Amino acid sequence: MADGSNIPGFEMAAYDCAIVQFEGWDGAMAQFEAELKRMLGGPLPNKVGDTARYDDGLVVRIAPRRFWLLCEGPPPIIDVDAELGCALPLGEGRIRLRVSGRGLRHVLERCVAVDWEALGDGRAVQTGLHRTPVLLLRRSGVECDLLVPRSFSKGLAEWIADASAACT
Amino acid sequence: MRRLHEGGRIDRSQRIEFTFDSKALTGYRGDTLASALLANGIGLVGRSFKYHRPRGIYSAGPEEPNALVTMGTAGRREPNLPATTVELADGLVAESQNRWPSLKFDIQSVNGLFAPFLSAGFYYKTFMGPTRRAWMFYEHFIRNAAGLGRAGEEPDPDRYEVRNLFADVAVIGAGPAGLSAALAAGEAGARVVIVEQDFLAGGTLLSKPADGQASAWLSGTLARLASMPNVSVMTRTTVFGVYDSNVLGLVERHGSGTIDPEIGSARQMVALLRARTIVYATGSIERPLTFDNNDRPGIMLASAARIYLNRFAVLAGTRVVVATDNDSAYPSAFDLAAAGVEINIVDSRAEPMPVLLEQSRRLGIAVRRKSLISNASGGQAVRAVTVSEPGGTVTLECDLVVVSGGWSPTVHLTSHLCERPVYREDIDAFVPGKLRAGHFAAGAVTGGFITAGAIEEGRRVGTEAATFCGATNFAQPSFSLNLAEINAGNNDSRHAHLFGAAKDGSPSRRPEHPLSRRSAERWFGNRKAGLPKDKAFIDLQMDVTVGDIVLAHREGYESVEHLKRYTTLGMGTDQGKTSNFRALSAMAGLRGMTVPEIGTTTFRPPYTPVAVGALAGRSQRHHYKPFRRTPMHDWHVANGAQMLETGVWMRPWFYFASGRNVDEAYLAEMRMVREAAGLMDISTLGKIDVQGPDAAEFLDRVYVNAFSKLPIGRARYGVMLRDDGIVFDDGTTTRLGERHFFMTTSTAKGPDVLSRLEFLLDTAWPDLRVSVTSVTDEWAAMSVAGPKSRDILAAAFTNLDVSNKALPHMGQLEANYRNRPLRIIRLSFSGERAYEIYAGASVGKEVWCRLIEAGVPFGLKPYGVEALGALRVEKGHVAGPEIDGRTTLDDLGLSRIAGKRNGYVGAVLGRREALSDPARPRLVGLQCVEPGKRLSGGAILFRPGEPMQGHGLGRITSVTYSPTLDAWVGLGLFARNAAEEGSDMVATHPIKGETVRARIVSPMFLDSKGERLHG
Amino acid sequence: MLRIECPNCGPRDHDEFRYGGDASVVRPVHDDADFEAWYRYVFVRENPAGPHREYWQHVMGCRQWLVVGRDTRNHEIAAVRSAREPRA
Repeated sequence: MADGSNIPGFEMAAYDCAIVQFEGWDGAMAQFEAELKRMLGGPLPNKVGDTARYDDGLVVRIAPRRFWLLCEGPPPIIDVDAELGCALPLGEGRIRLRVSGRGLRHVLERCVAVDWEALGDGRAVQTGLHRTPVLLLRRSGVECDLLVPRSFSKGLAEWIADASAACT
Repeated sequence: MRRLHEGGRIDRSQRIEFTFDSKALTGYRGDTLASALLANGIGLVGRSFKYHRPRGIYSAGPEEPNALVTMGTAGRREPNLPATTVELADGLVAESQNRWPSLKFDIQSVNGLFAPFLSAGFYYKTFMGPTRRAWMFYEHFIRNAAGLGRAGEEPDPDRYEVRNLFADVAVIGAGPAGLSAALAAGEAGARVVIVEQDFLAGGTLLSKPADGQASAWLSGTLARLASMPNVSVMTRTTVFGVYDSNVLGLVERHGSGTIDPEIGSARQMVALLRARTIVYATGSIERPLTFDNNDRPGIMLASAARIYLNRFAVLAGTRVVVATDNDSAYPSAFDLAAAGVEINIVDSRAEPMPVLLEQSRRLGIAVRRKSLISNASGGQAVRAVTVSEPGGTVTLECDLVVVSGGWSPTVHLTSHLCERPVYREDIDAFVPGKLRAGHFAAGAVTGGFITAGAIEEGRRVGTEAATFCGATNFAQPSFSLNLAEINAGNNDSRHAHLFGAAKDGSPSRRPEHPLSRRSAERWFGNRKAGLPKDKAFIDLQMDVTVGDIVLAHREGYESVEHLKRYTTLGMGTDQGKTSNFRALSAMAGLRGMTVPEIGTTTFRPPYTPVAVGALAGRSQRHHYKPFRRTPMHDWHVANGAQMLETGVWMRPWFYFASGRNVDEAYLAEMRMVREAAGLMDISTLGKIDVQGPDAAEFLDRVYVNAFSKLPIGRARYGVMLRDDGIVFDDGTTTRLGERHFFMTTSTAKGPDVLSRLEFLLDTAWPDLRVSVTSVTDEWAAMSVAGPKSRDILAAAFTNLDVSNKALPHMGQLEANYRNRPLRIIRLSFSGERAYEIYAGASVGKEVWCRLIEAGVPFGLKPYGVEALGALRVEKGHVAGPEIDGRTTLDDLGLSRIAGKRNGYVGAVLGRREALSDPARPRLVGLQCVEPGKRLSGGAILFRPGEPMQGHGLGRITSVTYSPTLDAWVGLGLFARNAAEEGSDMVATHPIKGETVRARIVSPMFLDSKGERLHG
Repeated sequence: MLRIECPNCGPRDHDEFRYGGDASVVRPVHDDADFEAWYRYVFVRENPAGPHREYWQHVMGCRQWLVVGRDTRNHEIAAVRSAREPRA
């Protein structure tokens, strides 16, 4: 961050965010993961908070038996064997706030109780932002995405904007 | 009092202008307000809390009991700030407190004459006793007289923030021990944060001459720390509390005339520092001595006089009496003597260290042994002291008295987690008790008062703390210390041996202070003869005297907790930092006990006061709580809705198109729904996706009614109970597929219901293969209700078959709208034919507008929550006011939906005996039978003629005016053994002062057969 | 503030969690009709001064229900496990 003089202090933009949730049943996880890997065509993240990148999206493990496929484009339709698990499109309910800049660390420390420095690039963390559940994706040392519930998104964007104003 | 021409850690090139009591003064960068006042010759700084006695500057740190000032003006006005901690800044405006009309002439100082009335227990006695009536009369005058500064009354215009920090090792205090610990932990590779309340790091090193060995070590260490990227040195930051799980509460302030980039534009910042280990290097606080009039301006702690001299280049007096019961005052005396002032030392001990006596002799200082100050004279400044010596008494004229009654380790923070401090007899002081794993202490707080020892101890615990965190890089320290040299201090020519030896430890440090048992006679030996004539203060800020403690003891308030509350000792803004130990030992002396036997009071956060605004941070005004907005929010605002906060949601209350105010509008909106159609935003309903092979079985267990036989494409009203059989929530669940359901909950209970479902799956029934997910935010939801609703739906979605056959009451169809999901369920809350339309949230506003447009020819308009609530009351539907966490299925008249089923949550306890008590409430309808009067929610119901006392037979829960019945109607909960339909009751609302007659009727006020819903 | 080490998400502030009460009581099976069993499950609590096993849900995180061992005298947290794991 020290030599990021050509990076703006702080920027924020909002995007729609297509998500498909996959959940496997307790006791059938090995088979479920094998099938999901086959359908997605790549490895699955091992631990909660780990991510795996695919051509048109990112898979995040958000709970021991739950994955989110975050899609850049329209979400694929994937049918899961009902004996192994289920899928649920969540393409409407969340907004992706992309926040970036040299001042990102200062803005985030006013927003979330997350140890940004200890969080690696590409890692995800679910936490509370102004008492609202959000998913924070660290893209780099100066950029992250916050997936926030749509109904809270305006209030949270104001909260983040105020936090960035307070840093200067 | 004067500023020296050289020396100190002030920047004489930067003059700073400020005002005190409107007088323009100047100081230098590096001054505190206190040092600048002293440099300007100002020794009288405030008036005391109860007696309005003149007070000066007593200390040089946050322990200051006397020199409290009010800073700023208007909304920024902040009272009771110790001048000793205020960093001098350009344009600073400070005022003295508790004086009128002026500091020098204060009318209320006559309080001193009424002192007997204001003694210990005054408030208790007047409040509780027979004089309580008199209190009512005198309260106004007394409250005006006693007190400190006043806060501003205008809103505070400043911004405050809270931020979150993380560290491996948090070091509290940047004195020799703390700096050394931070260095060791940092070199080991740990992430270190070191926090210092002062604007300079150095702690006790700053009180030593700026050109000595101490300074060299300090600047070397600070330079080394600054070069380490894993170490952060936070000055101007106070750790105000230590909380569970190693969370520290910090408050950060800006520097003088500068903006700290970490804090940004906030006036103050609270930081919550989550540390893996904590190093307490909090130092110690000097204790006062007790003698008559020991509060006069010009009397201060010996360490403070040394700090003013060496750090601020301020000589606080020219004829100085040094009174002490220990060695630590001697360096102050020597430094003052070196500055050329006349010194008399009054030492209560028989045999001070010979080396100190020798040095005193060399510097021409008279040392009076076995001597005590018994009285100070002078009004607004001390003029002389009376000293009791073995040979009699002598009066010493002076303009500065510096006192040292030994040192109290600053154990406050180490006690915040309820680890009680323990007494150490060899130093007559409390030190930290057993610390938790991962907590360490070093330096004076542990009772070791030797600087070099503190550095060594700091390095040891810094290494231990880093090891505790798993840091492994323990190479030799790159910044080497020559401890031997520092200890010997040979280069420090002025007082060679003392760098190592004081504030500083020595074998004879055990003080013999006047209030120890040995010398208690002086004060208490003849206490039957009465209280001391003059005032000898223990707690300067709360004006608690020795006499008050004697009185508390005499009246039986002997335990330290009683003593504190009876006398208000230690209850000031300084929390008794200088007075606590003195009071304990006084009470111990009176009771003939030892200090550890009587114990100590509990230290609680905050260590120093914290502005409430700083604790709140940004969570105020529109950020006080998060708000949820529906996808149609902007449409409502743009189309004349009056919005209403309902919990965290913003909802349209009513629309101005329907009327000028809520009363007009909701009636018009009700009529519209009953006669044509209305559109309501119901996106706030909790929505939960339930799927999996065992989903139907799961729903059978969580609802009182069965769902496994519900056909696909059909919805059902369901009620959930808590385990204790009380109704939890209600809603509808629709079967989308064999293994897939769509559940709705009330707006308020959505998060609770989801969490409960997850609880049952995770803890009770992990074998059920069911997934539950909140989809509240996925769907925009709206209800079109009224006789014309189907026509409107058909007009809006011409491609859909919404006929009664295709979409009967409780039917569901799935469609899409511009590639987004669209779900229509025929459900009614209002009692009219109605459809709930769920659309993907991103197209919610579009679908809403489409319905509005299609509905125009049919008279469709939006309606708000006021009309929604009124419509459901007319229909007799229960909602939040009735499902209030106390009512059962039976109470609400819903038993029939459970029937004789078993195996659902709450089934067994819902049938317990107490819940079938015939006096339990039952849902009833109520109709106002007095023309021109109205019903009110919350009114209590009585039988006519019965006395209106107690809780009555029931209460009104919800009301509305019914345009259909042209009457006020309501729902209520009424004792079922007294609830006869047709009988008249009296409804009284004591707060509103309303009493009205109401008749008990069926809660279903219209269409009891449900004909409007079907067909 | 408490910090609870979620086995899935790591140590987090307690305000990310929802408290769920005593985890040492045994819930009767769903169709158990024994009044006494339900009465004990809902109303009878040990209230110990010392180690206590309790439910917390990581609502702001992985949403899993956890069993947390907390000492009621000093808030020290001994162990955290997923509620789905069998009792120790």
